[in-house]
Order: sequence, then C-alpha cells, then structure tokens
Amino acid sequence: MVFRHIWGLLTHPEKEWKAIRKENCGIGRCYCTHVLILAAIPPVSGFIGTTRIGWQIGGGEVVKLTTQSAGTISILYYLAILVGIFSVGKMIHWMAQTYGAKVSLPLCIGLAAYTATPLLLIGLMGLYPVLWLNFIIALPALAYTVYLLYTGVPVMMGVSKEKGFLFASAVLAVGMVMLVALLAATVILWGAGIAPVFTS
Amino acid sequence: MATQETYNYTVVRQFAIMTIIWGIVGMAVGVLIAAQMAWPVLNFDLPWLSFGRLRPLHTNAVIFAFGGSALFASSYYVVQRTCHVRLISDKLAAFTFWGWQLVILSAAITLPLGISTAKEYAELEWPIDILITVVWVAYAIVFFGTIIKRKISHIYVANWFFGAFIVMIAILHIFNSAALPVSALKSYSVYAGAQDAMVQWWYGHNAVGFFLTAGFLGIMYYFVPKQANRPVYSYRLSVVHFWALAFTYIWAGPHHLHYTALPDWTQSLGMVFSLVLLAPSWGGMINGIMTLSGAWQKLRSDPVLRFLIVSISFYGMSTFEGPMMSIKTVNALSHYTDWTIGHVHSGALGWVALISMGTMYFLIPRLFGRKLYSIKLVEVHFWIATIGIVLYITSMWVSGVMQGLMWRAINADGTLTYSFVESVQAMHPFYIVRFAGGGLFFVGMLVMAYNVWRTIEGAKAVEDAIPLPAH
Repeated sequence: MVFRHIWGLLTHPEKEWKAIRKENCGIGRCYCTHVLILAAIPPVSGFIGTTRIGWQIGGGEVVKLTTQSAGTISILYYLAILVGIFSVGKMIHWMAQTYGAKVSLPLCIGLAAYTATPLLLIGLMGLYPVLWLNFIIALPALAYTVYLLYTGVPVMMGVSKEKGFLFASAVLAVGMVMLVALLAATVILWGAGIAPVFTS
Repeated sequence: MATQETYNYTVVRQFAIMTIIWGIVGMAVGVLIAAQMAWPVLNFDLPWLSFGRLRPLHTNAVIFAFGGSALFASSYYVVQRTCHVRLISDKLAAFTFWGWQLVILSAAITLPLGISTAKEYAELEWPIDILITVVWVAYAIVFFGTIIKRKISHIYVANWFFGAFIVMIAILHIFNSAALPVSALKSYSVYAGAQDAMVQWWYGHNAVGFFLTAGFLGIMYYFVPKQANRPVYSYRLSVVHFWALAFTYIWAGPHHLHYTALPDWTQSLGMVFSLVLLAPSWGGMINGIMTLSGAWQKLRSDPVLRFLIVSISFYGMSTFEGPMMSIKTVNALSHYTDWTIGHVHSGALGWVALISMGTMYFLIPRLFGRKLYSIKLVEVHFWIATIGIVLYITSMWVSGVMQGLMWRAINADGTLTYSFVESVQAMHPFYIVRFAGGGLFFVGMLVMAYNVWRTIEGAKAVEDAIPLPAH
C-alpha cells in the first residue's frame, strides 16, 4: 500500500504522478509512512556498511567505524534527510504562488518526497561503502531524480509544462543550495569534534 | 534625408567570433589537463606540455580570452544600443580588439615556455602587462567616452556594471602587477612575503568579483530582459545590489589565505565580508530569475532562454557555496582540495560560460542578419553542457571532501593515516568522471561553433541604423 507508487514512478512516471495527485493524501496518512520508511534506507545501510563491512582506501587496511560513532551519525543522517525533504516541500509551497499554482502544503511535501525516491532507494549501496563505486551508481539515480522532478512539477502543481520547467529549475536550485548547506554543516560539525571514530 | 548614423558592429562581430574560437581553445586545453590529472602519462615528458605550464594557459585562455572577448563584445554592443550613439572612435575600438588578441597570443606563447610571474591569474610577464594596461585604458576611453556622448540621458544599469568592471580591473591589474623587471622576460613583485600574498588575493578574488561577476551581471541585465522581452523585475534592486556588491567584494580576498602567515584578524575580516557578500549576490540572482519567470510562454520555442535560466541558477548556487567555503572551519577542510576546483567550475562553466553562450546565440543572428542555422542544435548544446557541468561538480565535491578527510586523518599515535600518494590514488576514478564532464562541455562548444559557422557562412555584415530621438 505504502510503496505502490514507487514501481510506477520508476516505470511510467507521468501516469504515476497523476495518480498521486488524484489521491490528494494528507501528510500523516501517506507521506509520513512513505518518507519515514524510505528515508531509513540510507542511514541503516550506511550503519551496517560502515560498522560490519567497512572500506579500503588504496589497498590499505579495512576501515570501519565504531558502533557508537556510526549510530550517532546514522541518526543525524536520518534527521537531516527528513528535515531536507520537509524543507524542500515547504520551499515548493512558498514558491508556488510565483508560478501561479494554488496547492496545499501536503501536496508540495508529497512532490518533494516522491521525487527523492530514487536517491533514497540507492541508499542501499551504503551496505558496500566503496566511494567511487557508490558515486558511479549514484549518478544515474541523481539524473533520474532530476527527471522525476521535471515531470512531477507540472502534474502535481497543475501548471503548464513551460511554467513547470521554470518552477522545477527553481526547485533544483533550492535543492543544490541545501546540498551545499548540508555539506558545510557537516564539515563544521566535524570540526567541532563530532567526527567519526574509526575502529583500530 | 541625410544618411543615418549606424552602430559600430564590426568590433562587436570580431569579439563575438573570437569568443567562440578562444572558448574552443581554452576548453580544449582544460580537457587536456583534466586528462593529465587522470593519466599523467599524457605529459609525454615534454616540459611545455606539463600541467604546471598548461594550467595557467587554460585559466588565461578561458577567463581573459573567452570571457574577455564575450565582455568586450557585449559591452560594446550594449553601450551603443542603450546610449543611442556609435562608439566614439572606430580606430580606438579596433585597437582594443587587435591589442587584446596580441595579449592573448603572447600569453599562449610565453606560458608554455615557462615564462611566468607565478602570480595566479596574473602570470603574464611585465611587457605583456604593460600592453594589457594600454589596451585597457583604450577600452575605458571608448566605453566611457561613448557614455559621455550618449543621446539617452539615463545610464542603463548594465552600463554601471560594465563601468565598474572596467575601472576595477584597471586598478587591480596595475597594483597587483607592479614589479621590478630584471630582464626582458623576468620581473619580481614590488611587494614581499605576506603583503605580496595579500595583494595577490585582493587581485585574485576581485578578478572573480569584477571580471567574472560584475561584467557578466552587466551582460545579464541587458540580455536577459531582451531575450525574455520583459522589463527588469526590480530596477531598484539592481541599483541597490550594484553598490552592495561593489563595496563588499573588495574585502573578501583574504579568505584565500586562511591559516597562512596573513594576520589572523584579516582572515576573519575576509570571512565576514565573504558571508555578507551572499546578500548582494543573491540580489542579482533574484532579479534575473524573476525577470525570466514572466517569460515562461517563450520557453518551448526558445532554448537560448534555458541557457540564461540555468546560468543564473548556477550563479545562485556558487555564490552560496563561496561564502560557505570561506567559513574558517569549512575552509580548513576544503582548502587545497578539489572542492575548490569544483566550486570555481560551477561558477565558470555554470554561470560565466552558459550566460556567454546564451548571449552569443542572441548576438550572432543580429550581427549577421541571419536566423540561427539550427534551434535544435542549440538545445542539444544546452543538454550536453548541463550534463557536463553536473558531472564535473559532483565528482569534484566527492573527491574534494575525500581528499580533505584523508589529509587530516591521523592515527591514535599522531601519525598520518594516509600518505599523500594514497590520496592521489583514491582520486583516480573521480578524475576520470571530471574529464568526461569537461569533455562533454567541450563537445557542446564544438556544436555551438558548427551552428554559428553554418549561420554566418556567406552572410553579410549588418549595419543597424541608430534610432532617431523620439520627440
């Protein structure tokens, strides 16, 4: 029930977006379950990957994180994803008026949540944390996320394709800015002493 | 009726064509050195093909040859069109064109030979620096002379940005390049030690601020409203963020020298001003985006608009990233890593190059009196370029953060966890992706060149009459 849109978004996105819009679900009923569960994939996989499997750099020793350190990071990671999706939804709602869309906040959060689906799904690769491999896998997922965004905005926001293109570009810009902000915040936290602890 | 006066399009045409040619040259060198990073064997053990000599050639070619030609072309076009007068002197304008080409040619010869002042973005030796100064003064005379002679009493805001760019680049160039020559091809900076570094980055950051930002904002303020066929969203905002930008940028240089011999308070000052800079930068972005947002009906038929929209989005993103990276804690990790390279290229490819390309797609048909040969190819170019940028930036983010983390990782006994060469080895896959991204962007430039070539092939030069004053 919760996940029935995922397959649709991966195979026939435009049709699926229409179905999602038709449902006009509340935040609590649909999106919460969807987001809360899907958003858990990257941190949980990351936790297992970094504590149990570990990674190697340049043929050196296998590096792993301590359970406690990986636990803290995973929880923060989970919260960051949730806050990120909610904020992007909020931004979409805020910008909607500029682009002539009259939509409810839950619909905007739904747009943000479903758009992020490919990125959350490939969080599974955290089980095998080899950075360059993960990066290669993440690229098509990222591309598909952008594609979902551009197809989803006109349908979910009920605007023309041309306006949708502009709207989606604005959302993309917001997303990139948030990504950079997250990167900077991570580095600052790291500098403040909340760095990962490696097993030796 | 007497023959009506016309605009000087000759010099605009010359610079527009050279924008595309130098774009190809500069980006080709960039792709080559990106390949050298991934596969060092491509140095071929030839000194003049080595990274250290080609890197300044790449930066000079894309910034001053490609970007510079785009700025000359657009500023000459805009100042004439918005002032309703011909440039004050055709000869002086022609001198700036041939002089600037001579500067670029000298750079292309001396840099691979290893003749360099070793000052970043100001590598050219003193005789070329003098030539630059002469050409630049001539440029200022043509530009401001034309404004003085104007028939429209109001000075349009694009000209403010171009004017600030011309004045500031003159000041920066003269102060930073002040040197004592010891021979025809060797000189030493008049500043020493930390002062030299400080002056260098005061110059370096404001080359970004005034050459690559103010100048290109001038382009934005004319060509975005023109292509969108709408007035600027907020004229008041454009003037406010002009002054804010001009006053703030000049202080931000020290963030290039965090944790160096520079006095600590100067570093903090540089950081604070860099953070403040976000506001005026975003003032420009909001103005551009909001101007374009009203033109959504035109999007389907007009891929040139897409170049402009995406360039402004990248401008917004990179001007947010910059202040973040100037925060000392972040800089401690990001400095000297590929994150910086990624940041520079999100500005250079995403903002400067895309808006220049959009502008050339606007100008070329008007300068040659022909429709663009293929709108479809413009769209192809847009997508190739955008994918190229995304590959470039994301690979540099990942490799940059990874580098930073590897360099600072220490074992329990205080020794370094990784040797430098291990970090280099770990970069390899990302350098391949970066090469692919840069390669795509370069291919896009070739598509553009083909399209422009087919457009202007056999075309006659256009002479536009200056509109008579409406009384």
